[in-house]
Amino acid sequence: MGIVSLLFKNLFSKPMTVRFPHESIPIAKGYRGEHVYDIDKCMSCALCAKICPNRAIEMIDVSSEYKDRYAKKYPKIDLGKCCFCGLCEDICPTDAIILSKNVFLSTFDQSNMIRYPLPKKGR
Amino acid sequence: MSKPLEPVINELEPCPNGTEYNFYFGPAHPGSGNFGVKLIIDGEKVVSARADPGYLHRGFEKLMEYRTPIQNAVLSDRLCVLEPLNWNLVHAEAVDELMDIQVPERAKYIRVIMAELSRIQSHIIWYGVFSKAIGFDTGFKMAFGYRDYILDVFELITGGRVYPTGYICPGGVRRDFPSSAKEKIVHVIDKMKEMIKLGELGNPAMAARTQDIGVLDMKVAIRLGATGPVLRGSGMKTDVRKDEPYEIYDQLDFEIPIRKQGDAYARYWVGIEEMKQSIAIIRQALDILPQGEVIAAKYQKPKITMKIPEGEVYVRNEVARGEAAFYLASDKNGRILRSKIRGPDFLHMIPVLEYLLQGKQIADIPAIYWSLNICPADMDR
Repeated sequence: MGIVSLLFKNLFSKPMTVRFPHESIPIAKGYRGEHVYDIDKCMSCALCAKICPNRAIEMIDVSSEYKDRYAKKYPKIDLGKCCFCGLCEDICPTDAIILSKNVFLSTFDQSNMIRYPLPKKGR
Repeated sequence: MSKPLEPVINELEPCPNGTEYNFYFGPAHPGSGNFGVKLIIDGEKVVSARADPGYLHRGFEKLMEYRTPIQNAVLSDRLCVLEPLNWNLVHAEAVDELMDIQVPERAKYIRVIMAELSRIQSHIIWYGVFSKAIGFDTGFKMAFGYRDYILDVFELITGGRVYPTGYICPGGVRRDFPSSAKEKIVHVIDKMKEMIKLGELGNPAMAARTQDIGVLDMKVAIRLGATGPVLRGSGMKTDVRKDEPYEIYDQLDFEIPIRKQGDAYARYWVGIEEMKQSIAIIRQALDILPQGEVIAAKYQKPKITMKIPEGEVYVRNEVARGEAAFYLASDKNGRILRSKIRGPDFLHMIPVLEYLLQGKQIADIPAIYWSLNICPADMDR
């Protein structure tokens, strides 16, 4: 391709990039982003905690205000340790953990990276 | 507290004429990656070079001993950031052979298609950083722009852009192709052809900076343990995909590109030709992609405990940078006793680089360094 034709092609073609905050490239179905956890489906089998290669999942008691309803141990996910491999999603027998398309996980507060099974009241 | 060990390779020889001095290339140089070279310079000329590895050591071989194979598949991504799917494939093949797993036919095709896409992606990065190293910034931007098309395919198929996190796992692959995958791959291949055309333009600046620079003779290359594009750039016709075919490579028709000159320019051309061959492989595999299961029935769901029979296995593959291999040994209790990883870059970045840098000009260091298609992650492991 000659330099002149290349020049004209580049002059009238759109750039490869998009103006990010205003427009974004749609994220594919099946993307491995932030976890969505449903405590009502969970049966506390702890398979997710055992398969996690980075040991990002820990089974904990829920806070005292929910204790009467949820008596077992439930997964606490540390997104700072997570590598988003999706093994917890694959192994979960009841689909209680699903990886969503949310990729906007940047934060200034370290405690935001920990996902508790249930939110504490007043949080 | 114990005293830190004294560095032993940093000692300067007494200068006979007082004009020699120490010169550090990396590890904080923008063009070096997590790797350094300690050089002794006389004027503009390199007297001797000593590689300085270890900045990216993560201890994979030890980590893999106390994890299950499916967790190791996730870990094997990180062996080389630039071509994770190829490393997934080596690991998965080693475990398949050790555990005697029959991989379904469709999974073999998918594995090959993904590994070849990964190879193209890695070669594009090679083209980009090589261009950047010799001051051709347009090539760098162009390469990383085109690489994103392949990352889009990875996002669609594996769910992650750079890290597939064990997509190629023991038993097959973790997900089947979505319905739009084939169409998307064909579209991306066309884009890659555009990229190759631009790379083939024969930039005179590129030729001037790299011709007759870093000449590696074939006999020396073999003695120093070079493999892959570096050895093929020196004129040796060798490729594990042809010499010892794995997966479905024996059913596919492709060439091994070689160049006789052995200089940086020859290695660059081998890279460009290899991308074309990879495209041909993907096209053939897509045309005859069979239907069926993508993972062996027993491994549909990941398993916490996988009992591995006692034995040992050594599996080698051709990754983008050369010959990669996995040695796995297991004990009676069904655990991995030892895993040894053979990465192509260990030999490219230490003996070959040290040999090539001797007696060269400072300005040629980046051209030689990046013409070897290096990856510090793979070398340090």
